[in-house]
Amino acid sequence: MRFDRLGRRKLLSHLATVLSGAAMIVVMIPLVLVLYEAFTLGGSVLSWSFLTSDPPTACSPRAGVACPVGGIGPAIEGTFILIGLAGLLAVPVGIAAAMFSVEYGDKYPAARLVGFVADVLSGVPSIVVGVFVYSLVLLYDPAIVFSTISGSLALAMIMIPIVTRTSEAALRTVPRSMREAALALGIARWKTATRIVLVAAAPGILTGVLLALARVAGEAAPLLLTDGGSFRGFAGFDQQVAALPILIFTFADSPYQNWIAVAWGAALVLILLVLALSIAMRLVLDRIARRMGSV
Amino acid sequence: MSAIDPASPPEEIVRRQKSPGRGRGVYVVLVVVIGLVLVVVGANAAGLIHLYGGSSTGVCGGNVVLNGAGSTLVAPLMFQWATSYTDSTVNYNSIGSGGGIAQITSKTVDFGASDAPLSSTQRGAIPSPGVVTIPESVGAAVPIYNLPGLNAPLRFNGSALAAIYLGTMTNWNNSELQALNPGVTLPNAAIVPVFRADGSGTTFIWTSYLSSQNTTWRNTLGFSTALVFPAGIGEKGNAGVTQAVKSTVDAIGYVDINYALTDSLSYGAVENPAGHYVLANLSNIASAVQDSNVSFPAATGDWYNVSVLNAKGPQDYPISSFTYLFVYKDLGAAYGSSYGMSKAAALTAFLRYIVSPTGGQSQAAALYYVPLTAQVAANDLTTINSLTFNGGTIPVCSTS
Amino acid sequence: MGSPANPTESPAAGNAPPEVPPAQRVNRAPVLGDYFFSTLTGIAAAAVVGLSLLLVAVLVYSSRSTLSLFGPSFLWTTVWRPAPANVFGIVPAAEDTLLTSALALLIGIPLSLGSAIFLTQHAPTWLRAPIGQVIELLAAIPSIVFGFWGLIVLVPFERYRVEPALQGTLGWTGLFNGTPIGIDILTASLVLSIMTVPTITAISRDAIAAVPRSQKEAALSLGATDWEVTRTVVLPYSQGGIAAGIALGLGRALGETMAVLLVIGNRFAIPSSLFSQGETIASLIANDFTEASGPLELSALIEAGLVLLLITLAINLAARAYLARSQVHEGGFEG
Repeated sequence: MRFDRLGRRKLLSHLATVLSGAAMIVVMIPLVLVLYEAFTLGGSVLSWSFLTSDPPTACSPRAGVACPVGGIGPAIEGTFILIGLAGLLAVPVGIAAAMFSVEYGDKYPAARLVGFVADVLSGVPSIVVGVFVYSLVLLYDPAIVFSTISGSLALAMIMIPIVTRTSEAALRTVPRSMREAALALGIARWKTATRIVLVAAAPGILTGVLLALARVAGEAAPLLLTDGGSFRGFAGFDQQVAALPILIFTFADSPYQNWIAVAWGAALVLILLVLALSIAMRLVLDRIARRMGSV
Repeated sequence: MSAIDPASPPEEIVRRQKSPGRGRGVYVVLVVVIGLVLVVVGANAAGLIHLYGGSSTGVCGGNVVLNGAGSTLVAPLMFQWATSYTDSTVNYNSIGSGGGIAQITSKTVDFGASDAPLSSTQRGAIPSPGVVTIPESVGAAVPIYNLPGLNAPLRFNGSALAAIYLGTMTNWNNSELQALNPGVTLPNAAIVPVFRADGSGTTFIWTSYLSSQNTTWRNTLGFSTALVFPAGIGEKGNAGVTQAVKSTVDAIGYVDINYALTDSLSYGAVENPAGHYVLANLSNIASAVQDSNVSFPAATGDWYNVSVLNAKGPQDYPISSFTYLFVYKDLGAAYGSSYGMSKAAALTAFLRYIVSPTGGQSQAAALYYVPLTAQVAANDLTTINSLTFNGGTIPVCSTS
Repeated sequence: MGSPANPTESPAAGNAPPEVPPAQRVNRAPVLGDYFFSTLTGIAAAAVVGLSLLLVAVLVYSSRSTLSLFGPSFLWTTVWRPAPANVFGIVPAAEDTLLTSALALLIGIPLSLGSAIFLTQHAPTWLRAPIGQVIELLAAIPSIVFGFWGLIVLVPFERYRVEPALQGTLGWTGLFNGTPIGIDILTASLVLSIMTVPTITAISRDAIAAVPRSQKEAALSLGATDWEVTRTVVLPYSQGGIAAGIALGLGRALGETMAVLLVIGNRFAIPSSLFSQGETIASLIANDFTEASGPLELSALIEAGLVLLLITLAINLAARAYLARSQVHEGGFEG
């Protein structure tokens, strides 16, 4: 081992590598522990019928009486619809706002306000967002205060800052030379921004979208004030709909064994659903990228 | 790997932009896929939509959606009722007693549920025509604790519990508690009291009881659904308190009876006015309600002083309480033209189902809720029958 | 960047573009599509800004009674007394919020950056995508699950293993006084740090991955070790992206409600040590909102939300001011 300057630098480099690896492992530990706990408490209820059945009525085990296991079918459906609608609202707005900030940020410095606003907005507690949307919808039409559309609006409002900020950061990593090269080739500004810059920044933007979706898929507080506490499937946008986080929140807070097991099973399903969504979206993005380029 | 890889530099993208026209096919595919997904979801939803205002035979029949909100304590029971009552679709948001009161005050729900009766301020805030109070279940608060090594339930009395939560009784090994529990070795450890940080009817019951047992408590803290406890740890929900006590040796907390009974936690016996140490169960809570012989105020009156605490019977559990539903007295006047007679009829039918000994109340015991006594149920029925729609009586729909 | 199209571009990806004689400067006349583009994106940007202004407006309107009643004294009152006393102040909650978030970031940022660096620089290629997905898995865990896990698993672990050890070794700092119960500010900060890690890691990873290979190769060719490349080229270049990740992580930490509620002990008091119980602004609002003792307390709670917004604003302003001095500025047209 050389202890001259080069040796020390190499040692430092190796140390840094090891430390970063250690950081990686430390980050994994809570994930493993949480998943383990969830499996212990809720793994027993997982089955195909769990994904499609209705939630069970509360029950504690008694001699000779089997407790219904039920399922979370309506809640899965509701979560898909809620985050789907929220995504449809938030993702285009967020990406477009980020594009405005990045493409016109040099010309109009005020455009960069968008990123700053998104940062501040991301710190608003989810319950305050729920209260905000509740108040607005109450003014507009009290009949739909507890409804799917109201819940989606609350979720969209939580998603927007995340999507905006991440998209802005991703768009900014695209070097100016790429834009200039496109302009030099005669491509219109808007085409450059959408067909070239956006595509180049797509993986980063997708990360933001997935983080936002993962976040809102598990938020109960805003939904309780806007979507309500239904356990039924989708019945119209002006009606309440079940959602996984609400179900987890209500069931976990109860003393009944079968409900608690369902709550943890639902948590596992939620995590896996988001994972599946994330893998699927990345695959789609890969496929699009492959199509758009030389195959 | 030719796909966009986060690890490869973006310059590869420029090289790939050779034939922009080819990308269009992908967009078409995407649109078709999204369209298919929407169609599937829509078809699925259509299959789940109940008969909506379709062919309703007069006032009864046709599927009405009823919304309720409030107490998390009765949420499992509400869900049970909502599931077994199929004449209407009942939704219930368990956002806490205060939330239930807030929602009924702003008329965004058809009924509000609370573990505490309306205070005068809350009653004042409710717009005309005002609400009726309907007790629909009975609950009780029990002291749970985590003291490993004890083989019999610990005995408490009101003054000891008050001292613990006031922070004046700080160690398990003290003379007052020891006197209540001769022959038990209490550990020499600091008591960790756990209280409800979020507003709750359980806190209301608990603090009402402590106020009745300790003058300092009554004068300085009083009773309400949420107050600033002088000592201990605040947790969210009965489940939070339960888990905190489970995770923390030497902790004591208060939870609803159904938590103690279902979770098989160690909970203590409490001394009642007759001098007996009563370990709460469904029957001694029911007898407390019976023996209290409460004379109910008028349905629209002030229920704040209705109490079944400290019932005088020999085996009555002293920390018992009603849980309440609030419904507007005149549904037409309250909700306006959008509220039809059929909805009013549906609501009253559901309420009748809830309080009926053969209907809703028969499902209570299995979930460790105490069913209403006959006297209370009869009183409730009178109240429900007194509800009006724009001054006129509401037809009684026969329930399934 | 060193792409074939621009072999003359300077290796330090240009802060200012190279001087271009007027005849060569590209200046494309706007087409119809450009107008649509700028209008649509402008509307979206205005919507985002407008939404936040609307939020502030609604919050201010809903808290007008305590705003006028207490004025600035809300910012230095240290008690929270519901009706009938009706005296409200934000100091303990604000302190707890800042403390838990600062601690969460103190723990979370090194872990996240370390993971991001490992993921992009050192991990074998086939492992990168799967581990990336696993990190996003962490982001998908609902906050209530974190809260209950914290209560069931972390709290006893803290109480019996970690906290006594901390008290023994670092007690002299005065940070670890008091009997460890496990439900306290320290545990809440730990849970928060775990929750911020996926956000910061994922966004930092993307930012680091976007550093052009040519930059790194240039540094390597000058004889830098891996760590020196990371330190002098990669991290400065991806500063903006990392800052975005940290900003969002901070936002999460400041606003997280459910998980904190379950492990922080919910005591409205100025903390005397990391083992004290506390109450963040977010958990204060969540706890008391549905059970507010009266319209005045409701208004005070909303005002607390406003204060949180102010705190977020201040921190972000300060961070941006710091970054503006050194940020490598990319993106956008020249004008």
